[in-house]
Amino acid sequence: MTDILTGVFRTFTSKTDVKKDLTVVPASACSALLLGDSSISRSVLLLSAVTAASELGVRVVFFAQTQIQSLPVSLKKCVPSLSPESLKKIKFSYPRTLEELLQQVASLHESQNTSPTPPSLIIVDRLEGYLGGTHSGDKSSAAHLSALLCDSAAFLTQILKERSPSSAPCRLIASYRSEVDSDYAGGESSATDHILDVLDRYFQMRCTLDRDRSYEAAAAGLQELWHVYLSASSITEDCTTDSETRPAVAKEWQLLISADGSMEFKMA
Amino acid sequence: MLIMRSLLPAVAEQLFRDIQKAYQETSQIPDDLLIALKFVFGPCALQALNLVDQHSVTCLSSSSGRKAFQVIGGSGRLYTCFVSCHYCPCPAFAYTVLRRNEGPLCKHILAVYLCQAMAVTQEESVSDQQMSAVLSGTALP
Repeated sequence: MTDILTGVFRTFTSKTDVKKDLTVVPASACSALLLGDSSISRSVLLLSAVTAASELGVRVVFFAQTQIQSLPVSLKKCVPSLSPESLKKIKFSYPRTLEELLQQVASLHESQNTSPTPPSLIIVDRLEGYLGGTHSGDKSSAAHLSALLCDSAAFLTQILKERSPSSAPCRLIASYRSEVDSDYAGGESSATDHILDVLDRYFQMRCTLDRDRSYEAAAAGLQELWHVYLSASSITEDCTTDSETRPAVAKEWQLLISADGSMEFKMA
Repeated sequence: MLIMRSLLPAVAEQLFRDIQKAYQETSQIPDDLLIALKFVFGPCALQALNLVDQHSVTCLSSSSGRKAFQVIGGSGRLYTCFVSCHYCPCPAFAYTVLRRNEGPLCKHILAVYLCQAMAVTQEESVSDQQMSAVLSGTALP
């Protein structure tokens, strides 16, 4: 079973664009933080949930503050194996406050949530909505929520492997929109997002979604073009593995969104 | 074995292994390891050892198999720490670790590591619902 983001990127890559056998996310990385505009992050999260449920056949728990009324039509077109049966594998929960989210995540270990099978993917949309945002957020709350999410994923991994030793670990993907505008290439910014600093302690991978502001999208007849950058978190990066022996990781992708809403990933 | 050991530098991991071995053999921590502990973790090493002496660390287990650590702080307050990553609700963790990035852990988390290495952690069973309350921080201290 492949990693969720690997599965999403590969599933929605043009068949003519399959080059080397690159992994998207190292197999050891179980948690990823999506950084970018809220709407695109939500689309990628939904794509991840739907891919996991329909293509990989695993259970997903999706936490969000605002209700998802229906899946975007484009998503239904993108995932041919999408069916009511596979959608039942996704449990949507809508905690309104940080306290409610903490309570719901903390209770993931209870039997009603691990039967018949535990979830293999935990998704949290818009962490900034729960944490109060870059400037007013509390670092300790951000650490508590992140640690609880990671610890819950670790526990669910344990349960999954007890029931089936060949099971993939439980993955965690969350989205966060920083109010600090920093340049990706240089990483220099006059202000620091202290909440993001805390999140980086717990999430192993960072997936930054950056909208293309040039004429490239229009020239290609696209509605939107996004650059997708993958990087390991600076604090939790595995220092014990020799960088020369790590599998190649495709670090830069593009997300192409057509006028009809269909999405495609492409290696940059 | 604590999963969160992979979050520590190799020197700290080796130190806990050495403490575990020495304590198993002699029921005490030799001076050279105490000095090493202080060197690696600074002032919170002694504070953590005091917490260990006071039997302050309990491993909570629920019927689902979920576990968490609870540490009684110097003030008598209960702090909940996770088994797989570093977090403590104490002011020192918020200030020294999160805000000033001056160390990977506080005395409560260090006390957990030490108690595990020395096998002196208390054990307590709780219900699944109590565990959820403890993990979310909604339980009364």
